[in-house]
Amino acid sequence: MENKEPAIEIKNLTKKYGKHRGVINLSLKVERGDIFGFLGPNGAGKSTTIRSLLGLIAFWEGRASILGMDVKSRQKDILKEVGYMPSEAMFYPSMKAGDIIRFAADIRGLDCKKEASMLCERLGVDLHKRIDELSLGNRKKISIVCAMQHKPKLFIFDEPTSGLDPLMQAEFFKLILEYNKQGAACFLSSHVLSEIKTYCRHAAIIREGQLICTDTVENLTKTNAKRIHMIKDGKEENFVYKGDLDKLFAGFFGHHIEDITIEEPQLDEIFMHYYEEGQK
Amino acid sequence: MTLYKHEMKQNSKGFLIWTLCVGLTCLGCILLYSSLENSVKDMADSFSNMGSVSTALGMDKMSLATLRGYYATEIAMMHNLLGAMFAAILGTGLLSKEEAGHTSEFLYTLPIRREWVVFQKYLAFLSNILLFNLICAGMYLLGFLYMGEEINGKEMALFHFATSLMQIEIGTVCFLVSAFVKRNLTGAGLGISIMLFAADMMCRILPAIENLKYVTPFYYSNAADIFTEGRLNGAMLAIGAGITIVSFLIALFRYRSKDLTP
Repeated sequence: MENKEPAIEIKNLTKKYGKHRGVINLSLKVERGDIFGFLGPNGAGKSTTIRSLLGLIAFWEGRASILGMDVKSRQKDILKEVGYMPSEAMFYPSMKAGDIIRFAADIRGLDCKKEASMLCERLGVDLHKRIDELSLGNRKKISIVCAMQHKPKLFIFDEPTSGLDPLMQAEFFKLILEYNKQGAACFLSSHVLSEIKTYCRHAAIIREGQLICTDTVENLTKTNAKRIHMIKDGKEENFVYKGDLDKLFAGFFGHHIEDITIEEPQLDEIFMHYYEEGQK
Repeated sequence: MTLYKHEMKQNSKGFLIWTLCVGLTCLGCILLYSSLENSVKDMADSFSNMGSVSTALGMDKMSLATLRGYYATEIAMMHNLLGAMFAAILGTGLLSKEEAGHTSEFLYTLPIRREWVVFQKYLAFLSNILLFNLICAGMYLLGFLYMGEEINGKEMALFHFATSLMQIEIGTVCFLVSAFVKRNLTGAGLGISIMLFAADMMCRILPAIENLKYVTPFYYSNAADIFTEGRLNGAMLAIGAGITIVSFLIALFRYRSKDLTP
């Protein structure tokens, strides 16, 4: 019988670094087969969440599971089914690209030659180059191959496209969609909002270690937030407004409104709005 | 054992450099003995009567007038110190190099238990130390053969067994340090080995700090003691083995729950 447990389930996860917060009481769920975007600025807690899931750092409050397996007790089983790509693709500098890819497959105890060769061909990986001769973009390509060659059930990507040229970014997402069609789920941490809007079905926004909201990307863009563009008292104003429009209009009393346009905001505007709201 | 092979390969360059440098330097000193022989024989008596210096270097027990004595007091001391430095360099980098080189996110997100990582890395360290000592001992034996000197196999075996344990002990203490830090502390490792070497010299001279002999593993790997007594100091070896095992277990326990940074 097929396991229907969520791809990722986090309940009340709290991780602190001494007195500094990492993430606080974070809960979210990623269903199997989903492509889930995890949005937040630098230092918001995205990487802390991911590292907690992968067992790189320990957390003492809350619990988390991947593919129905507890992240604390079944770390090795989880990592067999996960393809992870860190934001900084760092490898052993004296090794060649091909050796790194083979090393990752050998540790898994799998023969991934066929899949690795297909991935290397599509991404244009030069297997004979030493790691210390490669740019960040080329190291990222090796990281993609290492994350995908064993056809995992869940991908976890932390800022995957930084350093990749636009063509490679397109190829990368093409690959994700192909694996996703075969049933793999994808958890994508990013602050590139267009990527989330284009490729993700669900998304969560994290700020200062706390989850602000999680919903479908469609619903997130259909909030009552509006982009207001107007000329008031001869001055042009452009802002995102979230709330009761009657109150907004009541505030215009006594002002001269020459022109006003109200439209649906873009995802990045909603994202920024959440942040501005949180900072007030 | 993929990680074991990987570690051995990663360390191969350093291993070759250290083994050849130490082995060839000591072999060169053995071969030089024939040209020094006459002058050393003349000075042997004065060397053995230099009071505390003679005691520290073991020249009160062994005479420089023979190649055997020259080996026990000079060559073995050089091998001990350089071997300990090599072990310290290996030990300090063993675990911390993943975080220092930013490869921890790659290695520890592969399906391998941390305990197994620690075990395979430590096994690679042990292999390096044992191979280092085997190759060096082989070179020294060739030197003895070339010089036409009779070899006491038991003495040589006991000394190289003791010096291997001493290097393993120092390397394991550095391995323990490595489990707590995020960067390579090679300097600290070298400092530990030199301090322990100095502690051995001093505790032989000053009765007030004689108890340092229980702390420094150079004490039980002193070739002059081993060659004159024809046996190893079991109690000291047991203390050394205890320190090694406890250091390894603490390192393992600490590393299991350590937060790894990219």
